[in-house]
Amino acid sequence: MQESSESQHLPRREFFSRIGDGLYATALATLLGDDLFPANPALAGNGTHDLKPRAPHYRPQAKSVIHLFMNGGPSQVDLFDPKPELARLAGSAAPRDILNKIEFADQVGGLLPSPYKFNRHGRCGMELSELLPHLGEVVDDITLVRSMYGEHFNHEPAIYLMHSGRTLPNRPSLGSWVVYGLGSETQNLPGYVVLDDPKGLPINREQNWQSAWLPPVYQGTRFRSEGPPVLNLESRRKLPGDLIEAERALLRRLDMAHRNARPREPELDARIASYELAARMQLATSDALDLSQEDEATREMYGLNDELTRSYGKRCLMARRLVERGVRFVQIFIEGQIWDAHTNLEKSLAYSCGKTDRPAAALIKDLKRRGLLEETLVVWGGEFGRMPLAQVADRGADGRDHGPDGFSIWMAGGGVKKGLTYGGTDDIGHKAVDQRVSVHDFHATLLHLLGMNYRDLVYRRHGLDERLTDQFPARVVEEILV
Amino acid sequence: MAGIRSYSMMPNSGYASAFLRVCLRLVWFAPLLFAPVFGAGEVRPDVFESSILPIFENNCLACHGESVPQAELDLRTAASIVKGGKSGPAVIAGSADRSLLLDKVVSGTMPPGDDSLSREQVAAIRGWIDRLAQADTQLASAGISEKDVLPIFLMRCVVCHGKRAQEGGLDLRTQAGRLRGGKSGPALVPGDPESSLLFQRIVREEMPPEHLLFKYRVRPPSTGEVETLRRWIAAGAAADPAHDPSLEADLALTDSDRQFWSFQTPERPPIPTVARSDLVRNPIDAFLLEKLEGQGLSFSPGADRPTLMRRAYLDLVGMPPTAAQVRAYLKDESPDAYERMIEDLLSSPHYGERWAQHWLDVAGYADTEGIKHADHFRPQAWRYRDYVIRSLNQDKPYDRFLMEQLAGDELVDYKKEVTPAVLESLAATGFLRLASDPTDSPSNASLAEKMDVLHDEIQVLGSSVLGLTMGCARCHDHKYDPISQKDYYRLSAIFQSAYDPYDWLDPTQRYLNVGDPEEVEETERHNTPIEKQIDDLERAWKAKTESLRNQILEARLAALPEALQQDLRTLLKTAEDERSPVQEYLQRRFRKTLKVSDQALALEDDQFKAPLDEYNKALADLKKKLRAKPAIRALFDMGGEGSPAYVLRRGNAETIGDRVYPGVPSVLRANLPEYKPDLPSERTDTTGARLALGRWLTHPKHPLTSRVLVNRVWMHHFGRGIVATPADFGRTGARPSHPELLDWLATWFVDQDWSLKSLHRLMVTSTAYRQSSRKSPVGGADPEGHLWSRMSLRRMEAEVLYDSMLQAAGRLDTDRFGPAEPVEKMDDGEVVAKGSKKGWRRAIYTEKRRLTRMTFLDLFDAPQMAPNCTERISSNVAPQALQLMNGYLTRKLSRHLAGRLVDAHPDRSEDQIRELYLRVLSREPTPGEIRMSLDSLSELAEKWVHHLENENDEAPRRNTAHWSALASVSHALLTSAEFSYID
Repeated sequence: MQESSESQHLPRREFFSRIGDGLYATALATLLGDDLFPANPALAGNGTHDLKPRAPHYRPQAKSVIHLFMNGGPSQVDLFDPKPELARLAGSAAPRDILNKIEFADQVGGLLPSPYKFNRHGRCGMELSELLPHLGEVVDDITLVRSMYGEHFNHEPAIYLMHSGRTLPNRPSLGSWVVYGLGSETQNLPGYVVLDDPKGLPINREQNWQSAWLPPVYQGTRFRSEGPPVLNLESRRKLPGDLIEAERALLRRLDMAHRNARPREPELDARIASYELAARMQLATSDALDLSQEDEATREMYGLNDELTRSYGKRCLMARRLVERGVRFVQIFIEGQIWDAHTNLEKSLAYSCGKTDRPAAALIKDLKRRGLLEETLVVWGGEFGRMPLAQVADRGADGRDHGPDGFSIWMAGGGVKKGLTYGGTDDIGHKAVDQRVSVHDFHATLLHLLGMNYRDLVYRRHGLDERLTDQFPARVVEEILV
Repeated sequence: MAGIRSYSMMPNSGYASAFLRVCLRLVWFAPLLFAPVFGAGEVRPDVFESSILPIFENNCLACHGESVPQAELDLRTAASIVKGGKSGPAVIAGSADRSLLLDKVVSGTMPPGDDSLSREQVAAIRGWIDRLAQADTQLASAGISEKDVLPIFLMRCVVCHGKRAQEGGLDLRTQAGRLRGGKSGPALVPGDPESSLLFQRIVREEMPPEHLLFKYRVRPPSTGEVETLRRWIAAGAAADPAHDPSLEADLALTDSDRQFWSFQTPERPPIPTVARSDLVRNPIDAFLLEKLEGQGLSFSPGADRPTLMRRAYLDLVGMPPTAAQVRAYLKDESPDAYERMIEDLLSSPHYGERWAQHWLDVAGYADTEGIKHADHFRPQAWRYRDYVIRSLNQDKPYDRFLMEQLAGDELVDYKKEVTPAVLESLAATGFLRLASDPTDSPSNASLAEKMDVLHDEIQVLGSSVLGLTMGCARCHDHKYDPISQKDYYRLSAIFQSAYDPYDWLDPTQRYLNVGDPEEVEETERHNTPIEKQIDDLERAWKAKTESLRNQILEARLAALPEALQQDLRTLLKTAEDERSPVQEYLQRRFRKTLKVSDQALALEDDQFKAPLDEYNKALADLKKKLRAKPAIRALFDMGGEGSPAYVLRRGNAETIGDRVYPGVPSVLRANLPEYKPDLPSERTDTTGARLALGRWLTHPKHPLTSRVLVNRVWMHHFGRGIVATPADFGRTGARPSHPELLDWLATWFVDQDWSLKSLHRLMVTSTAYRQSSRKSPVGGADPEGHLWSRMSLRRMEAEVLYDSMLQAAGRLDTDRFGPAEPVEKMDDGEVVAKGSKKGWRRAIYTEKRRLTRMTFLDLFDAPQMAPNCTERISSNVAPQALQLMNGYLTRKLSRHLAGRLVDAHPDRSEDQIRELYLRVLSREPTPGEIRMSLDSLSELAEKWVHHLENENDEAPRRNTAHWSALASVSHALLTSAEFSYID
């Protein structure tokens, strides 16, 4: 369909935005069906699948994305952003102008220096906390951004912002936009796969991977790493294979007769095609998630032999297998809010870093040795960071409250610089001040790496061209690009 | 802060310093902490011009140097910089660190884009501001008026010193209130900021008080705001004269704006004459045929009777006919059989259930708030859903229907008496209470988030009723349509007497505790014994734990310094309303120490652990049994004078612009009576703002209201609107394909007293509606059917598919109205309706939880309300196939259906198949289909017998195999394309 739309000299994006306006997501099919292009035999039959790969606006650096979403708000000053000044100011009071954002006003303590040592790593000499030894081994492959800032200090709105460009629910997620723009390289698996933590869904739950008003084919499909991976992939009632086959044959017979009596209704072809895809998905999914096909060294590298890292390691390894098979966007979530260290900072960070550091670094190494890192963008980050202030708890188990005004994320692979540390926060690590990167900038940059201009990736709705960045100013952070 | 924090570590010194601090804050003899440090140097224009101006020239003046500078900030002279722009003074003389200008350049916000000023340049600007003398700022005070300081009071003070709360007897909303002051005397001394109490307390940072900043999400005034306030008071604190809104300047409208088609009052066009007048059953046909004949086309042949019957049923009541209804209709050969069936459908109670869903889509109905993780439930939202269903079943005129939804609270005097009509009118206002409202907790109740709620409601109103994309104008004048930002905020000001962002009611306060007396009494009868049990339980627990509680408290107090112990003991003995300010502070500070929680008991003594769990569970169980007291989730006028409304620059709640007054978009004012709140004189508790809006919208000559509605109804019947963009009748929207038809319908509809049922009747009895949907063998001139040379094939909407499956399988629970059927999450994550022995209720009666949406409905494109849905999409994706093939519901329904078929026609396979076709596909099977079905049945039965034998199942093999095989055939039919696609 790409060819035919270009042959009609209709800008592709505009073409798609018009389709979005119509009653049917499959208006695409209608428009390109034999009514309009009766001479194009390639489009006869099931020319209706809307996950087909589509050319980006310009040459992409990355083909696929693995988003390691660290919901909860990892603490920048304890992990990525050393602030010696905090030691000097330890215990000093909180500035008054942030008090209306601190829910636990009676628990506000003074400035709290990080209890961790920071060391330099790699050829680039990137400074990282001692909590992240494995990431330290791959710093020469990543870009660390220390100057991210958000708009809201609460999880729900901040997570919405990170996923959909606004602090409100009911907008399409990042992954949905990407798959809407590019389709998928595989027709046997969903284009946007979510690997959630078996220990529990993140805040905002399924809304994190919603397509909202984008057609549902762009919605993230949740693959469970334990038990049956996809909802209704198999019948709850176990039936023998020959019975399932016989049922399917009957249904297909009915549907073919129905379709044949209604010529030139592409929607009916599309329906038949979607049933066939459903059948193919059953095989492809089990294959993609079958980790027994991996060798022992790989399993060890991801930490599959260690109780603490096994769960996250499995999902990182699955993510690699999925992008290998052409899935466009994979997102890994983590149980509950393990980065949300309101109390017990040290205990809490030891757990969350212990669980994720090794698998995340392994993912970079593994992608690299397979030559996949160049075409895969890996993103690690949460919805915000934390305050450089203490949140005072009983028995001295202090933590830190949410801090949206300055935090760190890292990216690796597909088109980002290697070994770069970018941007910075103020002396106490509270507010991004140098080379600030907004969430919208981050989105624009991510789309850019995939070959899309954030201004041109639009979906027409209510008379407006909707964008991932909404109406907010955004800029591609050129400085971190190769 | 550090002092307070160290308190628990170093009791003695900490306590002293904390207490001293409290005293300092509370006692007024404290010296002025704030004394502006003004530089000694004078303004040396040469310094500005030689070293500062060049920096601005190269970096800033492109935007801040023109005759109309950005944000009204002119950086060309020292005086204009001191005066500042829309965000207040750009510099504060002598204090670079508190100056907005420096903040902007240091943070890199300005200049925008990639360039920023060098360190040397920043240092030069800093030095210049620090040396600037206060004398120069006096010059700039002259221009400051009350309108510049009013927003400061509004955003930072009136939540405690305003309409609903007047702490210390102080009301800061008006000049009179400020001069009168409160308990401590006048708040304002014109000409003397340092003697003005309100200024003093702000600069000392006593106000707004630190401990309330989060609770009310109030930001302390910025240094720029404090400076503006100081200058205003110093210049005499003059109040602005009263404003006459009629003098407000309007957006310059061009003739082409005014002449745009949808802003013209519709005129009834003559009905065209056509060649095939035999095909004209009513004027709809004439208008459509005129266009078709112009292209050498005509209508397609009529659909056959079973097809037409199924189409009408699914369209009007949202479910297929029963087998008996199909048989009866096919037998009825009288010429008006179709028309009589239509009458039956329009008077069916299911009609309202079906068409209410369309309205709930545009209204954005949901049973939960959706924003917070907890997805707060709205226990009374269903009353609005029921209101819509009832209104449609009664064929309530659309103008009345709208009036009630916009201003039901103003239509009736509900404080006087409560009648069923009053309750209905109040329930209607639920329309504007459907957007997600997160503001019940302060962490999601910033000014911006309150504005968002109001914005969503404006969008709902704009897209559902007006057919205009009002949302764009929140941040800037509309790019395509002649709707200014001012128009947007005028419209939003109409709602400000109910949704006042500066005097906000959170969602838990937006209920009216009124109800049908019988229902109230019934609820009380039900709740009273349970409440007593709860009371007893709580009392028993308290008695049981009292001594341990006291022990713990004693131990905690004993760990504190002596003096403090004394104070806290006294505090505990003092009644809450008699506590001194110091005691109140201590109470806040030691809240956790003083309150011994149940958790603390369990931690202290293991023996309390199990009983505590037991107690909590018993309490929760009892509370679950309580019924929600009848109440209405309403929108209501808060009475009295509301807060002023403003244009918000770039839509940002914190950047307040010009003041606006309630009004309607300028471009729509031309042919309509003026928008004017006008109430019967005995009503003083409401402004009439929304009532006036309702009157204006439902004026018979309104160019949009009736057009938008008839287009919507047309879209649902015919698959596509006459205007293909039902929520956008503006420039970016589609033009009507049949403008005369649209206007004819719009005017006719108003003449029929806005009767929706008349409109349906007209549409579904037209020849156009009765056409076949088959595509003609050669593409032709109307390939997509946009001229309606045929009907179009459509997939059922999510709810229709769900309801139809339940109905066909005989598992529909036809209970109507009331609280929704709950949904639950199964082990594998599928969200399903709970159901009961009676089956499952129609989709409209299931809970619409935003975060746990029924999987089935979700997959088939039931909308996520954002904030509403003006047009459904119809997708075609593999998870739908998985849902139908393997999902829990279809399997269950097929087995039930097959069971009933066997019951009805034991041992008669062919009759079972016939009945199956009638129930599921609303038609008789062809002989070929019967043959094929019977073949499949025996093939499947054979396999089932084998399967049962392999499993060594105890069930009678043949009978069970037959039942199971019939279930498989039923399953195939229920999940077939023919079932879910409407011809």
